[in-house]
Amino acid sequence: MRRLLLAPSLIFSVALTAASIAAAPTLVGKDAPDFVLKAMDGSNLRMSEFRGQVVLVNFWARWAGDSRQEMPALDRINTTYQRAGLVVLGVSVDEDLERAREFAGAMKVSYPIMFDTGANVGRDYLLQKMPMTILVDRAGVVRYSNVGFKRGDERAYLDHIRELLRE
Amino acid sequence: MNFKHRVVSIIARAALLAYAGAALAAPQAPAAAAASAAAAAAPAPAPAAVPAIAPPADAPGAPPGDFKTLDQEVQGLKKDVIDLNKDLFVLQEELLFPANTQVALYVSMDVGAFFALNSVTIKIDNKVVTNYLYTAREADALLKGGVQQVYLGNLKVGKHELVAFFTGKGPIERDYKRGATISFEKGVGAKYLELKITDHVAKHQPEFSIKDWE
Repeated sequence: MRRLLLAPSLIFSVALTAASIAAAPTLVGKDAPDFVLKAMDGSNLRMSEFRGQVVLVNFWARWAGDSRQEMPALDRINTTYQRAGLVVLGVSVDEDLERAREFAGAMKVSYPIMFDTGANVGRDYLLQKMPMTILVDRAGVVRYSNVGFKRGDERAYLDHIRELLRE
Repeated sequence: MNFKHRVVSIIARAALLAYAGAALAAPQAPAAAAASAAAAAAPAPAPAAVPAIAPPADAPGAPPGDFKTLDQEVQGLKKDVIDLNKDLFVLQEELLFPANTQVALYVSMDVGAFFALNSVTIKIDNKVVTNYLYTAREADALLKGGVQQVYLGNLKVGKHELVAFFTGKGPIERDYKRGATISFEKGVGAKYLELKITDHVAKHQPEFSIKDWE
């Protein structure tokens, strides 16, 4: 009896979550908010300085399991398309800077990792769930947004990246 | 022109531009209707009327010279939008930061052989007003003689204290953090302060100072 009651409530909650994610506001079609953050190497990077290039911004957190899968995939994309004009930026939203640094160091990715400890950038980019990846075109407009990560998403990233690089 | 007239003029120009833009975007509408709509909407102090809209380029029998006219009109509209945007910006600055309470802070850098700027944190009366991170390009622009407006805000008339903290790489690539303080009197007019970073050649050290532009 309990199982019978649990099943519909589970389905309902999953549907509700999916609907809330689908209905959540996104920045697609709008100008990417500018930000400046400190990177792992101590330099400061400003989003608007990459105008003219296709930018992939990946918001991640060490406690988000999907980030562990997504970061190596993004690293491969960065290695392949960097020369074609793609910039990959990783933005950590972890509050604990030291642990985020350790995690980023262990992942050994080739693209710059920055730290949004104040969560200001995440707020500007309407973060809903971790990880979140957005693609910004050469004119600085958000063209694609993906919440979460599952296997196969990197193929969708590649399709969009190729399209944006051709523009 | 006084403030009220400027506001009225800006609103009138914005209305005109909106109608002219709409008329250009819908060229199939009769030109006379668009022009009369614009003329009717234009308030008194505005310029006379929107220029007549050329017929659509693909209209049968449209002379080739009309392409040029249409292009000139579009270019004219673009210029008007830029002018209007500039006026709105100036107006906004005047509204948000009236001259009698305005305080503007600038950062400049001279030589920079002993210091690579990374960030500036500024406190006025013990309250952080800005915290600016410099990218390599921005620091380079400062080294080339650029002066950056790092803060624009309002302050009451009276005595105030400003503390600026500079962080970056000092001599021999060492992390460097230094502060500079100034007490200043805010009068009735606008206040301009310049945070200067210079090289002290004899000491082989950077120097941080704040200049009060009277």
